[in-house]
Amino acid sequence: MKIVVCIKQVPNTDTVKIDPKTNNLVRSNVEGIINSFDRNAIEAALELRQQAGGTITLLSMGPDSYITSLRDGLAMGADSAILLSSRKFGGADTLATAYVLSEAIKKIGDVDLILFGRQSVDADTGQVGPIVAEDLQLPQVTFAESLELQDNNQLTGHRLLDNVVQEVKVKLPAVITVRSEMNSPRYETPLNIQKSFEKEITIWSENELAVDPTQIGQAGSPTVVKRIFSPEKAGRQTQMLPNNAKDAVAQLLADLNN
Amino acid sequence: MNNEIWVFVQLNGQNVEPTSLQLITKARDIAGDRPVVALVAETESMNVEATVKEYGPDKMVILKDDQFHNASDGEIADALDQVVTDLKPNSLLFPATVLGRSVAPRLQAKLKTGLTADCLDIYFDGDDLVQVKPTYGDDIMCEIICPDVRPQMATIRPNTFKAVKAATDTETVNYSFTFHPEANIEVVSETPVINSAANISDAKTVIALGRGANNEKVIAKAEKLAGKLGGMVGVSRPLTDNEGFSHENQIGQSGNTIAPDLLINFGISGAVQYAVGIENAKQIVSINTDAKAPIFDKSDYAFVGDADEFMSALLDQVR
Ligand SMILES: Cc1cc2nc3c(=O)[nH]c(=O)nc-3n(C[C@H](O)[C@H](O)[C@H](O)COP(=O)(O)OP(=O)(O)OC[C@H]3O[C@@H](n4cnc5c(N)ncnc54)[C@H](O)[C@@H]3O)c2cc1C
Ligand SMILES: Cc1cc2nc3c(=O)[nH]c(=O)nc-3n(C[C@H](O)[C@H](O)[C@H](O)COP(=O)(O)OP(=O)(O)OC[C@H]3O[C@@H](n4cnc5c(N)ncnc54)[C@H](O)[C@@H]3O)c2cc1C
Repeated sequence: MKIVVCIKQVPNTDTVKIDPKTNNLVRSNVEGIINSFDRNAIEAALELRQQAGGTITLLSMGPDSYITSLRDGLAMGADSAILLSSRKFGGADTLATAYVLSEAIKKIGDVDLILFGRQSVDADTGQVGPIVAEDLQLPQVTFAESLELQDNNQLTGHRLLDNVVQEVKVKLPAVITVRSEMNSPRYETPLNIQKSFEKEITIWSENELAVDPTQIGQAGSPTVVKRIFSPEKAGRQTQMLPNNAKDAVAQLLADLNN
Repeated sequence: MNNEIWVFVQLNGQNVEPTSLQLITKARDIAGDRPVVALVAETESMNVEATVKEYGPDKMVILKDDQFHNASDGEIADALDQVVTDLKPNSLLFPATVLGRSVAPRLQAKLKTGLTADCLDIYFDGDDLVQVKPTYGDDIMCEIICPDVRPQMATIRPNTFKAVKAATDTETVNYSFTFHPEANIEVVSETPVINSAANISDAKTVIALGRGANNEKVIAKAEKLAGKLGGMVGVSRPLTDNEGFSHENQIGQSGNTIAPDLLINFGISGAVQYAVGIENAKQIVSINTDAKAPIFDKSDYAFVGDADEFMSALLDQVR
């Protein structure tokens, strides 16, 4: 089975600062890590490879610093990695991001299964997987919490909708987005980390892909960030409780009981 | 192109998913003279029109086909694409439910337009639908627009707005389209989830723990306190990495919106992504060692001090 896992590198912190002048994230000094749900996607791929054989290619679009997380993914046990990197890809919204990923998947060719995390932990849209599925005209199982190989070209997945669990059967090729409930990602072993440095990371820019320049990066992104602001404080009157915990609790309980 | 605001009406079994009705009300509130249209895709035997109508859309566009029973995301997106491409609404809103977040981006890809995820507010600025959502950092929101392409699409967070009934003359349009079955996918079954475990969204008392209360001792005390108060323990996002907690316990933008009578926050800083989940709590008490923690601005009672100490005192004094 030929599996592609799309991974995004995210800052290893929740409180990234925004440059008030440019509206851009200040990314310097913040270490990048694999988006946590994408580790679940890699784990799912490793388990499927164990059952069905095949190869796992990691695919990521981003600046050269994304090599860090691709290297980590290789150390988990993936076979190869491709970084889609170019200034022209910058400033992409979900539509333009998914377009470039889709074109790369076409170039890889004969892919049976494309795995995504359910969403990124920084921008949090969960849109990239479904857009890729549509671009490639493939069936999708989003928010999957289980995945089972039926035979070599069919999977059964379960996904939790608002108050029902859906059982879905898909024939490959297909797109799956993975919830953290599906598995516990394995840790990198020293041997695998060592091996990961022997694996090559391929870099493709727009020159290697058959992309339409009007559909990539900022040019291909219909959404525009208009304004970034701090919301007004919620209007609650805050009453300070005494410094001593015992007195504080006594006062609180007296107040609440009134 | 017209100036209509469309709302996708999601169905859960025979019922209307509540967010869809909230969105009809919100669309009416911001519409000005723009017509509000409810988009319904249902099986022949279903009839949710009566329910939808009560919330006062100017028009309902109905797609009927028995194959909507257990339809795949791709099949729903294909059907919606036919009517949207034909009738060209100005804006199209989806609930940010699992289904909405799965179907809307597939439709977006067909229409080659923008889609803003999980909005907390929307309003019109001229013809631009301004979509408001939190971004990184403790207290930062951003506004996203889609200036050049229509429809303007957004998914909107459940329970952000109240659904309010309204009387209007609603026009009903039965739209004829072709259901195209997707070859390689089959929804085999749908099993209702029995919510045996109580849901934190419905809890009357919530003891919320953050990174400043993340140790076994405090967690054990919190469980005990929740038991005494007949409440539940919730957590900020970082604690979902703990063995005992999951996404089900998480409060906030990417977790649950809660509305308890009493919420006690232990060691939670009050990032905007957390704060949006607690706005509807009646009484908020917060315990934090940092007097400047943003959570205090969102609280009715503030205790500057240690989580464990306050928790122990509470356990002692609550009968
Ligand atoms: C605060 C903020 C809010 C944003 N809101 C929106 C919005 O509402 N609408 C919009 O269109 N854009 C939005 N963007 C832009 C968006 O973040 C980028 O387009 C981003 O490249 C992909 O979106 P995501 O992070 O939401 O990915 P998601 O769709 O949440 O990611 C799902 C999965 O897709 C894969 N994936 C995502 N990105 C990559 C990548 N670069 N390379 C390989 N695989 C990847 C991973 O498997 C990931 O788990 C926002 C950006 C920010 C900073
Ligand atoms: C797209 C996105 C979505 C997100 N969604 C969510 C979400 O749904 N829910 C959520 O919670 N977060 C969410 N976050 C993360 C959010 O930004 C914050 O990082 C998170 O809420 C912080 O959790 P915290 O308050 O527990 O931890 P911290 O911010 O680390 O705060 C810990 C607090 O504990 C205090 N403290 C330390 N020691 C003690 C002590 N002994 N006693 C008392 N107080 C003490 C500290 O002063 C501090 O204020 C999201 C982030 C992003 C980018």
